[in-house]
Amino acid sequence: MTQTSLSTFLLAGPELVLVVAALVAYLGGAFCGLRQGWLVALIGIAVAACWPGMELEAGSVVSSGPFTFDDFALFVRRFVLLAGAGLALVQAGDQFRSAVTPRQTPRANSTCEEAGTFLLLLAGVSLVASANDLVLLFAGLELVSIPTYILLALKRTDAQGQEASLKYFFLSLVASALFLYGLACLYGIGGSTSLAEIGSRLRSGDGRIVATAQTLLPVAVGMLIGGIAFRLAAVPMHFYAPDVYEGAGPGNAALLSTLPKVAGIVVLLRLLALGTGGKLGMIALNQGVVGPAGVAWLTFFWQLTAVLAALTMTVGNCMALLQTNLRRLLACSSIAHAGYLLVGVAAAAAADATVGGRPFAGPDTSWTAALGGASATLFYLAAYVAATIGVFGALAYLGHRWPEWSAGSAPRPPREEISTIEDLDGLSATNPVVAFSLATFLLSLAGIPPLPGFWGKLSLAMAALEVDWTAQATPGSRRVFFLALAVILVINAAIAAAYYLRIVAAMYFRSAKRGVQADGGLGAGIAMLAALVVMAMVTLQPRPLFSAAARAGASIAPGAASGLTITPPHAITAPQASTQP
Amino acid sequence: MNPFSPANHLILVILTPLVGALAAWLLGSRGVSAVRQSAAVTTLITLTGAVLLILRALPAVSAGHAFAVSEGPWLVDGPFDIRFSLGLDGLSIWLFGLSALLSVTAVMVSWEAIKEKPVGFYALLLILESAMLGVFAARDVMLFYVFFEFTLVPLFFLIGIWGHDDRRRAAVKFFIYTLAGSVLAFLGLLTIVLWNASHTGTLSFDIAKLTAGLAAHPLPMDARGGWLQWWVFLALFAGFAVKVPIVPFHTWLPLAHVEAPTGASVDLAGVLLKIGIYGFLRFSLPMLPEATAAAAPWILGLGVIGILYGALVALAQSDLKRLIAYSSVSHMGYCVMGIAALEPVAVEGATLQLINHGLSAAGLFALVGMIYERYHTRSIANLGGIAARAPWLAFMFLLFTFSSIGLPGLNGFVGEFMVLLGSFQRAWSGVAFEWRSSYLTMAVASVVGVVLGAWYMLWAVERVFFGASRQPPADHGHAPPSSADHGASGDDSHGHGGHGDGGHDHGPAAAEPTDDLRWYEWAALAPLALFVLWIGLFPATFLAPSAAAVRTAMAPGAAAFAARMGAVHGSPLPQTAQADAATTLPGAAIVPSDPPLTAGFERIP
Repeated sequence: MTQTSLSTFLLAGPELVLVVAALVAYLGGAFCGLRQGWLVALIGIAVAACWPGMELEAGSVVSSGPFTFDDFALFVRRFVLLAGAGLALVQAGDQFRSAVTPRQTPRANSTCEEAGTFLLLLAGVSLVASANDLVLLFAGLELVSIPTYILLALKRTDAQGQEASLKYFFLSLVASALFLYGLACLYGIGGSTSLAEIGSRLRSGDGRIVATAQTLLPVAVGMLIGGIAFRLAAVPMHFYAPDVYEGAGPGNAALLSTLPKVAGIVVLLRLLALGTGGKLGMIALNQGVVGPAGVAWLTFFWQLTAVLAALTMTVGNCMALLQTNLRRLLACSSIAHAGYLLVGVAAAAAADATVGGRPFAGPDTSWTAALGGASATLFYLAAYVAATIGVFGALAYLGHRWPEWSAGSAPRPPREEISTIEDLDGLSATNPVVAFSLATFLLSLAGIPPLPGFWGKLSLAMAALEVDWTAQATPGSRRVFFLALAVILVINAAIAAAYYLRIVAAMYFRSAKRGVQADGGLGAGIAMLAALVVMAMVTLQPRPLFSAAARAGASIAPGAASGLTITPPHAITAPQASTQP
Repeated sequence: MNPFSPANHLILVILTPLVGALAAWLLGSRGVSAVRQSAAVTTLITLTGAVLLILRALPAVSAGHAFAVSEGPWLVDGPFDIRFSLGLDGLSIWLFGLSALLSVTAVMVSWEAIKEKPVGFYALLLILESAMLGVFAARDVMLFYVFFEFTLVPLFFLIGIWGHDDRRRAAVKFFIYTLAGSVLAFLGLLTIVLWNASHTGTLSFDIAKLTAGLAAHPLPMDARGGWLQWWVFLALFAGFAVKVPIVPFHTWLPLAHVEAPTGASVDLAGVLLKIGIYGFLRFSLPMLPEATAAAAPWILGLGVIGILYGALVALAQSDLKRLIAYSSVSHMGYCVMGIAALEPVAVEGATLQLINHGLSAAGLFALVGMIYERYHTRSIANLGGIAARAPWLAFMFLLFTFSSIGLPGLNGFVGEFMVLLGSFQRAWSGVAFEWRSSYLTMAVASVVGVVLGAWYMLWAVERVFFGASRQPPADHGHAPPSSADHGASGDDSHGHGGHGDGGHDHGPAAAEPTDDLRWYEWAALAPLALFVLWIGLFPATFLAPSAAAVRTAMAPGAAAFAARMGAVHGSPLPQTAQADAATTLPGAAIVPSDPPLTAGFERIP
């Protein structure tokens, strides 16, 4: 394990490339008549991905003070760039413009502004993952929020779009304020803005810290998670999602259901690592050195996230059952998926709280997590984002359906956006490739094996089940709590299948009333097919993604993958067990 | 690397249908006949491969070993050890063969019935075949679960696209119902894996290793361990009971069967229902013996309720296909009962009964499909005298009916007899005294089911095949005699049920046997009929290879049951299954000293 100090500018190279590309897009669009904004975005992403120094020796940490680059940050950065490429393609293919009035015609092409803003957003998510400082963390999060408002407002100027962007704007401000308040409390406890510093103090067992923590920790955890809940669209900050998604076009809906969630999960995991100390902290933990404040931090963390997870999954899925509008339905499904992700976060926090409470002492506690909640969350996140980009890519590609119009009687009415499930009726006959891809993505979201969503749910259920595995399952214990959470998770998976199947059934079991135009751009089609390829690859061989997620999660929370030795209990206690054949 | 090594042979058999699906898709532009021919050829090749594999496997499998074991890494990373691990053993070998056999039937019965979107239909049918073969060949828990769940997807589309009037609701209900059960089973399987891992230190998903691991370190069955074994058992039960289906969980089945196209019904009734019982045998009995033993009386009760309830509801049906669907519920009750009796002869009988029911139910569903194709009705009230027009069809229907109701000499008799014999044996001498009356009552009640089964089946046969011809003459209905829409099953414009049935498409020669079986229908039914006779006359051919594996699988459960029954009385019963059948119980008022009831059962196979 190496810890190297490097200049922040060198470390944040890919993010800086994205910002430069954003500037190119802005300036080129404004002064040089550049029209291919999304092309600039794709080139920027490609350059950022090729930035030297993206490699990292497994388990090492490179830090520049406010900026820490470890396996987790590397995973998120690569993931964000890949997802960003997909989202840029979907955005490029999302041809929807609100009914164009003459007044609006001159500025109808705002792709350069959109692409630039989008690049800043990507840079924000990537920065959040490597932030080692409260200020940088907050700045990164704001770099996610503010471009989102702008994108929402740029893309659609009709009443619905304005409602969506305004709603998102105000609620996002509230959430940012909550989060900021939580950060202030955290600063109050730790007495530093450096996350590493705060973490080591939390875990130190210093009496003064413990005293402060007793009063401030619950507030801090509540405020931080409350603020993040908005980004995740988790209960109780979920109610905006259906309205906003409905008002946004497919491109923006794809963006809303992926990038803020990625950022939110990343922040949650980074904050969770304050209790475990990630890789370095675990070594200390292994030696039995952990303060009560660290354990309290993790305990508050898992309790809150576990309750939110159970509520979010159930509420999201039940809401989705009632929807007929496609984007509203997908919004509710994205709420439910935030719940699944929170199961992994809660499991990560709880598993580490166990370790903190009872350091690897006896034979009964030496078997710990096989995968770990953090890794499971990251794996699920990747599977979810790939499928979501695919779904919205397909919807953007389909674009519009033919309006009801009999020739000769009246002027042709404006084309209608595909908005309800019925609009997809009979898609398997008219657009078989799109229907097949869409069905694959939806079945993956539903968690049908052997699609990636299934592997994700497998890891999440595993992570939840193995919390406190060796403890006695008494009523009210943490173990029983997580067993119940696992049951809620799988039952929700079955509920979710009901509404995903409704869409599949519409595409395959009904006959088309009016065909779709499939007038979306080529980009959306490419994004859809690329997502399909990713699905196929992860389905056949989930191992590369799996081990990448395990490696990334290991720098947040422990697990077998983190390199800690695991001793089977009976190898120690029962010598006669080894003599058995 | 030898492509014909046993392991590669098995992999080739499982992959062939997928290749066939691809071929069907490529041949799509050549029209219906090219597609269906390619599908038929594929299923025949698969069947040939499967038969050859079974012949190669018989020596090893009879000795209780697994055959054609292969392993490839799938998700092998860190502690995870999920593998593409395949192989056949005594539990799976006949079900594997049955899947290959019934797939041929499924294609043949769809020969004329499916004219709409044939590419999709046959491709899905072949994908389903691959998944069915995979379920029985899987030796890895996750691989099993993946195949188990994946069978739902092709069937969902088969029912939803090519089904009858209410197909959409049936497809979705079938999918959701089965999924809801199996996700719980999924959690149960994960818990087993974790429990084993926490004792061995490796996260193995291999079924054989798990069985051994759980035998060494059983899941706790006490308050201190949180009754973990109970919970895991219930979770697995949820998944398998829905699949079987055991009675309170059966409501998806009649709907799915009635709405499904004939080919899908054949696969659903013939193979997919068996996965539930197979799951009990593969996981619950060997891995969770104490919980199985504790639940056995109640499951036995549910089995008997299923037998009677299914039979009584079948009696009240007016739709022939629905009647057979409920008869499936009733007959699967015998399998449940046989498993829950935990008596060697009963469990062996239940495994044989899986094959028997697979053959007879598939045959009957195929025949109902053929009747529907001819007369566009399945309503018993609107059918009659078919025997005069189609004597061979009637003969086949009677044959499968007799197989289903257990006529001696046919396969159904052997299975049902063994199950009943085992249940009586268990009731007579294998349970604690205070359980005896309940067990005897249940065993007697299940015999009533046999009578009811004969009643509703023979009643239906009498109405449909004999007596006056009631189906529409050629000049009735909306299909003219020269109509080309011959056999448009899945065409919703044809009413069925109580009113105006569709035209009879073979002209006015109604009294002539012109409606008889066509060559592809012969191809669908003849192999099934052959096996019906073969199993009926020489059951040992089929019982002997699986006997060793079945006994190994059930031994822990039987031992736990014996211990449990002994514990009630304070002194344990003898542990071996043979011994406990012949031993009297301490404190029993009636001493069953009549060995004839029990002594002969060993010779049945």
